[in-house]
Amino acid sequence: MSEAPFTRVGVRPIPPPRLKTRPWYEGRPVLSCAVLAVILLGCLFCGAFIPKDPAYMDLYHASTPPGGGFWLGTDAMGRDIFSMIWYGGRISLAIGFLSTLVSTLLAVLFGAASGLSPRWLDGLLMRLTEIFLSIPSLLLIVLLQAVWGKAGVISLSLVIGATSWTGVAKVVRTEVRQLRSCGYVIAARCMGAGFFRILRRHLLPNFLSSILFMVVMNVRGTIAAESTLSFLGLGLPLEVISWGSMLSLSEKALLSGAWWVILPPGIVLVVTMVCLTDIGNYLRRAAGRRASNL
Amino acid sequence: MTRKNPLFYYARKLALFLLSVFVLSAAVFYISRLAPGDPLVSYYGDRAEKLTVQERQRAEERLGLRDPIHVQYVRWLEGALRGDFGISYKYKMDVTEVIAGRAGNTLILGGTAFALIFAGALALGVVCAWYEDRWPDRLLCRVGTIISCVPEFWLSLVLILVFSVSLRWLPSSGAYSIGSAGSVPDRLVHLILPLTVTVLGHLWYYAYLVRSKLLEEVRSDYVLLAKSKGLTRRSVLLGHCLRSTIPTYLSLMAISVPHILGGTYIVEAVFSYPGLGTLSYESARYQDYNLLMLLCLLSGSVVILCSILARIIGERMDPRLGEAEGWEAAEYE
Amino acid sequence: MADILLDIQHLTRRFRLGRTASLLAVDDLSLQIHRGEIFGLVGESGSGKSTAARCVMNICRPSAGKVLYRGVDIWNPREFRANRTMLQTSRQLIFQDSASSLDPRMTAAEIIAEPMEIHRVRPPRGSLREEAAFQLRYVGLEPGCLDKYPGQLSGGQRQRVAIARALCMEPELLVADEPIASLDVSIQAQIINLFQHLQAEHGFSILFIAHDLAVVRYLCSRVGVLCRGRLVELAPTGELFDNPVHPYTRSLLSAIPIPDPRLERARVLTPFEPDGFDRAGELAEVSPGHLVLQGGGGV
Repeated sequence: MSEAPFTRVGVRPIPPPRLKTRPWYEGRPVLSCAVLAVILLGCLFCGAFIPKDPAYMDLYHASTPPGGGFWLGTDAMGRDIFSMIWYGGRISLAIGFLSTLVSTLLAVLFGAASGLSPRWLDGLLMRLTEIFLSIPSLLLIVLLQAVWGKAGVISLSLVIGATSWTGVAKVVRTEVRQLRSCGYVIAARCMGAGFFRILRRHLLPNFLSSILFMVVMNVRGTIAAESTLSFLGLGLPLEVISWGSMLSLSEKALLSGAWWVILPPGIVLVVTMVCLTDIGNYLRRAAGRRASNL
Repeated sequence: MTRKNPLFYYARKLALFLLSVFVLSAAVFYISRLAPGDPLVSYYGDRAEKLTVQERQRAEERLGLRDPIHVQYVRWLEGALRGDFGISYKYKMDVTEVIAGRAGNTLILGGTAFALIFAGALALGVVCAWYEDRWPDRLLCRVGTIISCVPEFWLSLVLILVFSVSLRWLPSSGAYSIGSAGSVPDRLVHLILPLTVTVLGHLWYYAYLVRSKLLEEVRSDYVLLAKSKGLTRRSVLLGHCLRSTIPTYLSLMAISVPHILGGTYIVEAVFSYPGLGTLSYESARYQDYNLLMLLCLLSGSVVILCSILARIIGERMDPRLGEAEGWEAAEYE
Repeated sequence: MADILLDIQHLTRRFRLGRTASLLAVDDLSLQIHRGEIFGLVGESGSGKSTAARCVMNICRPSAGKVLYRGVDIWNPREFRANRTMLQTSRQLIFQDSASSLDPRMTAAEIIAEPMEIHRVRPPRGSLREEAAFQLRYVGLEPGCLDKYPGQLSGGQRQRVAIARALCMEPELLVADEPIASLDVSIQAQIINLFQHLQAEHGFSILFIAHDLAVVRYLCSRVGVLCRGRLVELAPTGELFDNPVHPYTRSLLSAIPIPDPRLERARVLTPFEPDGFDRAGELAEVSPGHLVLQGGGGV
């Protein structure tokens, strides 16, 4: 009885499982954030390193292929592509963020108003949104652009922002509908809190995580919209350099087979958008995780 | 409630549709009239600038451009109800004729793209769900995400660069070669690139939705039941899970029409494909009000129709969606 | 009698359930609450207690009838607007579920100070935080709770925070909508005692909604019994518990467990079928202050 009651025969002692400490970066979009940061900083401080004046038209060297004095060649007007990419990125990104700001603001206000209003008004507002949505966004942008007049950075941001808010607004509305029967929103209303106070203090913090991913995706969408519009000649004019307006020269480039006019700006554009998507997807997963734990 | 009288139900939806189209037409009319620009230019070309003031006035009066906006709208509406949408300032012929000549092309492009996206997304989604978290799924997710990030116009440019300019396999623009409008193979060849771009631009978005919807289904309890009854993996996934995602997928596809339509518009403009997209882009640039109105109205009506269709599909096929009626009571316990 | 603080006159609230069906949640409810009394409103779940409370608090619009608070018709938009601040500060509501009535993203201090912030009241104790700390101590919580989020507090602590939030505006009417229903029994006793203590000190009125009759007996001075939205009996607490008249009240009282095993085993439940009773009767006084729905026949 002094021995251990059970002796294990032929059992190799199992080593304690090695606790694998997951590195902090696992499952996080570190690479995307880094690349995006490089692009952002590069565009912001492009003055420090770009070799040529991006707006200077060197007509002697128009449509030069890459190499020689121009790292990525020149476009049909003799401008240095490499310099233009960094310089134009400022405008493209600025429009992306600015119009996302506009659209998010609109979406939150409209969604919250619709979500908090009585049922008939909510239905009416949502029908109006649907009608608004039913005009193809290209046409809508063209129409609004015509009303606003000459395209500039600000007006283009406003137009793109004004046409891209409906998706977020719908999510905000659904969230607010759920939140508004929550005790603390009713309590705040009893205490006499106004619309904006309830929105700011109670609603916004609670639905922010669920729209964050859509907002990031919206940045992506608005950058794409800007480049598409500028490419079609409906957005920024040729002399305002952006990734889109750079590509609007590509019709001529196609004829001459000047691939260097088309590929580099597009690749930077696509890389930026892939990074944003990656970050957005991470945010969506994070928001979903939080929701399921509650 | 609503289910008892289908006639009443559909009448309500029809009324909703007509009302929406009416509001849409009013909105588009007002916006397009607010836009600055001289429609006379598009009517008379450069001659408009040489007109004297009296000639201008007479021309504007004859075209009804000087009345207040709501009068113009009522006149337009009266005409529209008789099927007369005015003449195109640019093409100098009936707007309906201009559109009828182009609508077929867009319908072919959009319809084929829609069918391909619809079938392809379903197939891709099923493949991803089948191989969840194994390499085919991961590979498809990666590639799909990257492709869905590429703006359609740039994808078009790259494809033109590769297949038309470098390899000279495929034509880069138009719907048919000059002189062979009737030849089917020629049209098909012209369709390949625009179609590829439209499909690639949208495919992954819907495939991903199918995938996540299926993965959600796979985790529900009835799958365990089906497995315990001895059904194979394939028959559970294809027979049960897929079937229960179909209603959502159908209503989703109905809602997706505007996105795919908007996509073809841009693609058309890049490939100078003679469809409604190119037309609307041109009419917007030349302030061709009547044409633009009808184009907006046409695409808007299709979209509204589709979203109402989506709701009908949802309410008819998924009984849960229809029961949102008693929410007011539910909200206050 | 003391003067009347809250006067509910023929309050009716109907919920539409779809196109034809509707639910009569509150049916012709009339009652008065005097200054400084604790009025208990009891009834089984779904009897319309909460709806009545929501009508009193301007949350849920009555289909018919009036609610007068200090003589102000609170559902008259003009009168409401003229007395908005008074109405919003001197009436306070305490919810059943303290977990959802406190914003999960605000600390206890912020929650308690919120009504003062909204009405821009100058805190009598210096800063808003001081005021929150004071109120917290007053309802028996450590000041350490000030910076905690509702998720970090226990159910009883949360309910105390909710009470502190209601108290900081020095209300005259506290509407407590089953404030103890979601708590443990021992915590329930603490909260009940807190209510009693606070009421004695401040002298405000409480409309106390509960389904637990033992608590009502202990706390309230008068009790109203609701059945399917209809007020079937209203009496001073002692009178109601000693001499219940309406069959529904009797049935409810017979359901109170007795803390003595022998008696408890011998307890007989009086059955009552609430769907079958006659709603059409009139309230009649059977003894001073004791009103019963007459003509209401049960089984």
